[in-house]
Amino acid sequence: MDTFKGEHLLPGHLGQLFVILAFGAALLSTISYYFATTNKDPLDNSWKRIARIGFYINTLSVVGIGVCLFYIIYTHLFEYHYAWEHSSKSLPVYYIISSYWEGQEGSFWLWGFWQAVLGNILIWRAKSWEKPVMTVVSLSQVLLSSMLIGIEIFGARIGSSPFILLRDAIDLKSSAPIFAQRPDLYQNYLSYITDGNGLNPLLQNYWMVIHPPTLFLGFASMVVPFAYAIAGLWQKRYKEWVQPAISYSLFAVMVLGTGIIMGSFWAYDSLNFDGFWAWDPVENAALIPWLTLIGAVHVMIVYKNTGHSYFTATFLVLISFVLVLYASFLTRSGILGDTSVHAFTDLGMFWHLVVDVIIFAAVSILLLVIRWKELPITKKEEETYSREFWMFVGAVFMALSCLQLVVVTSIPVWNAMFKTNIAPPNNPVTLYNVFQAGFGVVVTLLMGFAQFMKYKKTETNRFFITTGVYFVCALLITVLIVYVTGIYNLRIVFSLIMLGAIFSVLSNGKVLSDAIKGKIKLAGSAVAHIGFGLILVGAVIAAGTRKVVSVNDTGEQYSAEFAKRNDPKENIMLIKNQPVKMGDYVVTYMGDSLSMPNHYFKVDYKLMDANGKVKAEFLLKPNSQFNPKMGLVSSPDTKHYLLNDLYTHVTMAPLNSGMETDTAAHSEADDDKNYDAPISHEISVGDTIRFREGYIVLKSLDKTAHVENIPLTNKDIAVGAILEITSHGKTYTAEPVYMIKNGSVFDFSRKVDDAGLKLRFSKIDPQSAKETIMVYQQPENKRPYIVMKAVRFPYINFFWSGTVIMVIGFLMAIFRRNKELKTV
Amino acid sequence: MKKSSIIGLLVIAIAIAIIIGFYGSSSTYGSFSDAKNTSGELHVIGFLDKQKELYYDAKKDANYFSFYMKDKKGEECKVVFPGTKPQDFERSEQIVLVGEMRGNEFHASHIQMKCPSKYTQDKVEITEASAKKADI
Repeated sequence: MDTFKGEHLLPGHLGQLFVILAFGAALLSTISYYFATTNKDPLDNSWKRIARIGFYINTLSVVGIGVCLFYIIYTHLFEYHYAWEHSSKSLPVYYIISSYWEGQEGSFWLWGFWQAVLGNILIWRAKSWEKPVMTVVSLSQVLLSSMLIGIEIFGARIGSSPFILLRDAIDLKSSAPIFAQRPDLYQNYLSYITDGNGLNPLLQNYWMVIHPPTLFLGFASMVVPFAYAIAGLWQKRYKEWVQPAISYSLFAVMVLGTGIIMGSFWAYDSLNFDGFWAWDPVENAALIPWLTLIGAVHVMIVYKNTGHSYFTATFLVLISFVLVLYASFLTRSGILGDTSVHAFTDLGMFWHLVVDVIIFAAVSILLLVIRWKELPITKKEEETYSREFWMFVGAVFMALSCLQLVVVTSIPVWNAMFKTNIAPPNNPVTLYNVFQAGFGVVVTLLMGFAQFMKYKKTETNRFFITTGVYFVCALLITVLIVYVTGIYNLRIVFSLIMLGAIFSVLSNGKVLSDAIKGKIKLAGSAVAHIGFGLILVGAVIAAGTRKVVSVNDTGEQYSAEFAKRNDPKENIMLIKNQPVKMGDYVVTYMGDSLSMPNHYFKVDYKLMDANGKVKAEFLLKPNSQFNPKMGLVSSPDTKHYLLNDLYTHVTMAPLNSGMETDTAAHSEADDDKNYDAPISHEISVGDTIRFREGYIVLKSLDKTAHVENIPLTNKDIAVGAILEITSHGKTYTAEPVYMIKNGSVFDFSRKVDDAGLKLRFSKIDPQSAKETIMVYQQPENKRPYIVMKAVRFPYINFFWSGTVIMVIGFLMAIFRRNKELKTV
Repeated sequence: MKKSSIIGLLVIAIAIAIIIGFYGSSSTYGSFSDAKNTSGELHVIGFLDKQKELYYDAKKDANYFSFYMKDKKGEECKVVFPGTKPQDFERSEQIVLVGEMRGNEFHASHIQMKCPSKYTQDKVEITEASAKKADI
């Protein structure tokens, strides 16, 4: 048995103990809750007591796991693989939190933590529902805890523990052969592991500190409505389960929706895929359960108010949670492979994740089949002119839009199942946009006119008049918007969804104003609908009419084939200090500023009016981070206006490994290679030399010039030429020196890097009073430059503000539903 | 006809439309020789030929990048991409291209590269540290 120096094994052992304890306690809790539920004797609370104790122990253990992991990362114990892989010593404390969820184990822990919190809330609040509901929640907790076990059972490793040691996770002897030869060094391996891999620079963003916890709280809270639906079937309490489930569902969609948009803002703020939504499988995976549960919320309300749509409500609630698990299978099993840039890599949990999905899907199907005959499915049809009917239709369309996302996102799953070799669509964004906008048209129109309907039966004349009036108003506004923003250039479906969105904003606006006059507590849904409408308005305008500002047709046409194609030429090159016209702007790459590890490129924007006057000026600082382990990672910078955003990111910069080449170390001859062949000018004081990017004036001669570290005697001569250089409206001075020392001639060149110049004072001719100045110009490809892309996003603030409004609406709705709630 | 049956039919129709839309838009994985024989875009998976030139000169054209890639069958082809050279392109282990053949060049509209070093980096770098120790 090897012994190793310097390892701290206690926190890991303790953490692993908590992992096992969490699993065992959750299992105990599940079994006890099951027997507590099936126990016929109402006075016997012993099972329930054991179950609660089990769940409390699980909660404490989950907290204990978190504390141990935090301690390991915080104190840089790189003997643990997780700390080594996801953190480094230079990481600030608040990003230690982010490094938790860079890895799968940490994000499973986060999910388990939230589920434990929710479980405790249920124990406190659920009263008669506690036993059956907590049976389901505990079962889910068992499966989540098992993901962290990381122990081999019958040759298969179950889960992946965050407390695995580096030397167990990686074969150190093969990656560093010296360890194989020298056991003494191997025992001391830890002294060679000086730092961890560090956190992916893209995750070092404040949104990444709060986005994953929000998203996982959303995922975790989806188990609660699921558990209520199962409990309703199991206990045959078909009517009552809906009331509490509505509140929890509203909470889940609110939090998950917020989490999704936070991720979208993070992408917009710090990734460079030029937008806020890319239909990446990972994004879709979060959206899929959101769509079904939001549909479920609507039919649950229908069921509560009218008794219709029982099956649809139950089905959508059940499928939502199964889809959460399916989404986690997609993103965590490695099956997405080449189709996603963001998915986790496989940790060997493929089948574990599949089993997770199957267990909950099987329980749902089994219960539905067993109870099928008893389900309160109404024989009578809904009235055509009733709110419940159209809410039901809306929910069906949301489920269909979800189906489309599932079918296309799951391409790698179909390939694995049917041994096919289908590639994802060549242009997935267009495909998704068109399909989802199509569903969006139907859903938003329903969102609009269903507001004018009543439950059960609506008076038709009045309905048609109000709907007609609002629809015509919406149509007029839409025509205006479509015309002004240029949406009419896009497919017709985008104009239609704009109409739907505006219509729903208007009609819900009416509901809101009525509610303000009357029952304010009913305003929640109207506010949430308005918010959702605004999100769509913002998304359609911003994504549909986003415009690349940095269009650049100046490139060389390399081949006939290349020239023929009408490719988007979206990148523009900026040489330092040379202003370039770009759309309405004149942009100048001003230089860099370093704030390790970020390398900021300062780009000056001047907005010009028709007369060439500067209307506005601002500085953007897109940055790149050179990370020795992960390569060069760039982040954009955006100028935010009220009505549009100007987004800029550097697509290429000649940063070689972030190392600045030190020119001083090279000889003068080497340095000259960085310049074009020099041009000599014989001039007198006051004369002007023109060069490519400006002019130089010889202002005077400085007879008292001296050069650092070179003492001069009476016999020696040193003369400086005071030169004033003007280039692109900026003035610089330089003083190259001519020197005769001990009978030999020297000259000391001076550089003006910003103007790309090197200047030498190489000769003095006393007779003609002419001085020779040699001008070295830097060829443009040796000058510092950046290649960047700029995109304008119009009206994107509708998107963000719509989100805030929607969340407010959800909150109002939750308060309202909670007041109605009288749980027994 | 009852409303529920109308809705049922509608749902089935849309579901079929989704599947048709999916088949119509999905692409295929292929090789460069497949690309020569098909019109329209397809996906090609392959590896960067690090022996040959990666050409990108922002001064001449900031939107032209060319390189040579070997597909999975070993066939090599020049690839042209109308954009900048992706950062760390040289380090890529595997490349997925979406595009089509134009003459003898493959014109990619989308490049996705995989740098295994980026996320699954199970190699400990200790060379520097151990060299220092060896001196003692």
